[in-house]
Amino acid sequence: MNRFNLLKLIQKQIRDYHVICNIGYPSQELFKLDDRSNYFYMLGTMGLCSSIGLGLSLSIDEPVISIDGDGSILMNMNTLATIGNRSPNNFTLLIIDNGSYGSTGDQKTFTNEKTSLKKVAMGAGCKNVIECDGIETPQVLSEAIKCTNKSYVIISKVKPGNIKVKSIPLNPIKIKERFKKNIIKS
Amino acid sequence: MKVSKKILMILKKNGVNFFLSVPCKLLSNMISILEKDKEIIYSAVPREEEGIGICAGAHLGNKFPCLLLQNTGIGNSVNAIVSLLKYYKIPTILLISYRGTPGETVKAQYQMGSITKNLLKTMNVPTLHCNKFSDLDKISKYVVKSKKIGTPVAILCDFNLMKADQ
Repeated sequence: MNRFNLLKLIQKQIRDYHVICNIGYPSQELFKLDDRSNYFYMLGTMGLCSSIGLGLSLSIDEPVISIDGDGSILMNMNTLATIGNRSPNNFTLLIIDNGSYGSTGDQKTFTNEKTSLKKVAMGAGCKNVIECDGIETPQVLSEAIKCTNKSYVIISKVKPGNIKVKSIPLNPIKIKERFKKNIIKS
Repeated sequence: MKVSKKILMILKKNGVNFFLSVPCKLLSNMISILEKDKEIIYSAVPREEEGIGICAGAHLGNKFPCLLLQNTGIGNSVNAIVSLLKYYKIPTILLISYRGTPGETVKAQYQMGSITKNLLKTMNVPTLHCNKFSDLDKISKYVVKSKKIGTPVAILCDFNLMKADQ
């Protein structure tokens, strides 16, 4: 199972929630599957997906899901410490760990070698850290989102690979404004 | 404490309600006040670039964010300021202790100090330079501008202004 298959598999779990999605292929694949105004697509700043999700979850009461990747987490690992120490109850961080920098030419990341993001997250202070494979992810994710008194970090181990997708044809202001309308409503 | 209190009073009065800080000795009074303030959301963050990301999320959640940082941290955040805050038009207050200005005791601070204003100018970030107490009255105008046009704004607070406040 690769990232696209996993994103397809978790559509039912995430479609009604505020989702912050990682830059590049993850956002483009999610857009192709089902473009929704409650999905915030990142167009720049690799590494900050989980931080944006954290900021949103500290600001509102509804559940927030960040869909991040191993490469971008490795680029901004300190945010796991902030997530661990603040641990907003409404925040679920899903790290799709395919051991690959998918959007930059499929170079291998350190999670292929010695780095365990599960151990990093736990060491950073995150309490509820679950590593699972792609098939198990919908169930784990669903329970994490519904649990309203804990924040979760889920590391979903999948295979590398991207599908052929186009750039997202939305401008950043449009992405932001339609996303914010859902916040105002809820 | 006079300077710190006044700055925070102006920011809060203009709707800023979400604060993050990466520490600087010159900002320590302000950080102490924020830690105790129950009216706002506050957290420390380990690195400036991450703080920019959290500020963007706070804006999506209808908060008005402010990041306290040293000017050295602007160097750590250039891409996040430009490709996230500017690109998505996210109002954010960058409240900056301006190291490397007259009075500075650490020589290395002059390196970033000498390029900070040009860096902010290159990024097209509206910048207010405060080097005396009366300059603080201009902060309101910049906060309003940030919200109105959807841009980060930088408030640079000189070494001596902040040092005298400690």
